Amino acid sequence: MKGRCLVSSRKDPEPPAKPKAGFSRRGFIRGVGLGSGAVGTGLLEREAVAAPAPANVVGPGPVPITLTINGKPVNVTVEPRVTLLDAMRNYLDLTGAKRVCDRGTCGACTVILAGKTVYSCSVLAIDAQGKNIETIEGLATGNNLHPVSAAFVNHDAQQCGYCTAGFVMAAKGFIDKHPNPTMEDVKHGLGGNLCRCGTYMGIRQAVVEAAKEMKGGKNG
Amino acid sequence: MFDRVEAFYRPGTVREALRLLQNGKNRARVVAGGTDLVVEADRSIRFLIDITHAGLSYIRRRGKACVIGATTTMATLENSPAIRALAGGILARAAATCGSVQIRNMATLGGNLANGSPAADTATPLLALDAEVVLADARGRRKIPLTAFYSGLRKTAPGKALLIEVVIPALPRGGRWSFQKLGRTESDISLVNAAAGLQLDSKGRAKWARIALGAVAPTPIRAVNAEKLLVGRKVDESTLAEVCDQVAREVQPITDVRASAEYRREMCRVLVRRALEECAAGTGCSL
Ligand SMILES: Cc1cc2nc3c(=O)[nH]c(=O)nc-3n(C[C@H](O)[C@H](O)[C@H](O)COP(=O)(O)OP(=O)(O)OC[C@H]3O[C@@H](n4cnc5c(N)ncnc54)[C@H](O)[C@@H]3O)c2cc1C
Ligand code: FES
Ligand code: FES
Repeated sequence: MKGRCLVSSRKDPEPPAKPKAGFSRRGFIRGVGLGSGAVGTGLLEREAVAAPAPANVVGPGPVPITLTINGKPVNVTVEPRVTLLDAMRNYLDLTGAKRVCDRGTCGACTVILAGKTVYSCSVLAIDAQGKNIETIEGLATGNNLHPVSAAFVNHDAQQCGYCTAGFVMAAKGFIDKHPNPTMEDVKHGLGGNLCRCGTYMGIRQAVVEAAKEMKGGKNG
Repeated sequence: MFDRVEAFYRPGTVREALRLLQNGKNRARVVAGGTDLVVEADRSIRFLIDITHAGLSYIRRRGKACVIGATTTMATLENSPAIRALAGGILARAAATCGSVQIRNMATLGGNLANGSPAADTATPLLALDAEVVLADARGRRKIPLTAFYSGLRKTAPGKALLIEVVIPALPRGGRWSFQKLGRTESDISLVNAAAGLQLDSKGRAKWARIALGAVAPTPIRAVNAEKLLVGRKVDESTLAEVCDQVAREVQPITDVRASAEYRREMCRVLVRRALEECAAGTGCSL
């Protein structure tokens, strides 16, 4: 039983070079494998009969992962604690998404994960595996701006520009789900993004215009 | 965000998750959507156990009850036809107010409850719905009322247990419902929130009533004495005034960065009145 613990998974975690005093990670990981079968007779009936899922452990230490960014697989080796935002910015040189609050409040780090807008500062990179990650870098086709980006330019929807990439991604995610938005819908739908320069009016107009443009089938 | 986190586990079953949780002692934490954990940034966490792959994302009918798995997201709840149809959609409405789209795409029902915030927006409607929660630990599963789940400020029953699902029992026939939230901005945390359920008899008297409030006591609460006062009475202006006075006596709001205790207490009256008026309007009783 001991041998079949989580450590036997492909990403065999080696003990760290410098174990911290008074605490053994190994102990924890090994402990996980012990006692399977011992715990919970008559407990969690349904789960117990189901075939045990392959134990899935990542770390300690850097682990190789594959992210699908704008449709392309990208390999990167990161520690499990690294957020999707930091993986993109610090390891992959994709600096479009901005790190502003780093606690899920401002929206500057917004990306579209499996079709849903999320704050990339609040998603772990390892948790983003297997899902398509759309970022600002993938939005344009060649030299042609995406209709959302073009509408931002037309409506002067940025000042310092720090919030812009997040807003554009939030707007794209919003229009994908609400092709006919009113100004009020836009205000509500983009409530998760903040702009310290106060360009909200321009942004809302841009989003309504971009939605019309995209329905015209020009891009999207 | 998780500076000290070293390993990350993604158990495929509840059983495995429980074993990991037990072995991780105080250094392992369950993570679902992570939207509360990110902000908490607890530096004692070494192991994260991601339970979003443990088969707990579902909305089911079980007999007359509606059962919602712990990792069901707010976005799923707000868009689910079943949840929108349940009790005037109060749970869907509450879920739709939990932060921004980006938050609601990640945030889970279980996380909202287990985090133990008195302002958790889904807790209030669930209290009005007499919801129960199913917990699992090494000894087995148990079902407890949501009221028993909260034991104090930010204290909830889980500990080494996992919140598995929320059970909403059969609702009173002809019941009418309302959820009200007051926040500084649309996606901000509640200053006060309130939920009400009302069943009237043929003479317009309250046969059954539920009044729940959030962000005005150490835990989300039911205003039981106000409910008692309402039952058996005709739902008219003077009853509402009395009930709202009783609510204001029953809550224990505090002053914090968002609002003063005094303001919160006053808003309890306002929100409960709005909620009961909406319920009464729904039953065709004119006030
Ligand atoms: C910008 C912002 C705005 C917000 N706005 C609101 C709002 O308006 N209203 C509101 O109510 N909340 C709000 N929240 C708080 C948060 O999004 C919700 O409480 C959310 O539902 C938490 O769920 P989660 O899955 O992200 O929890 P996590 O962060 O994954 O977990 C929260 C806690 O619960 C524990 N936990 C999670 N699942 C389980 C389980 N199944 N069993 C046992 N323990 C578990 C975790 O260990 C952790 O301690 C906001 C948060 C942010 C960052
Ligand atoms: S940096 Fe992610 S929301 Fe602010
Ligand atoms: S343009 Fe400066 S923060 Fe939005």
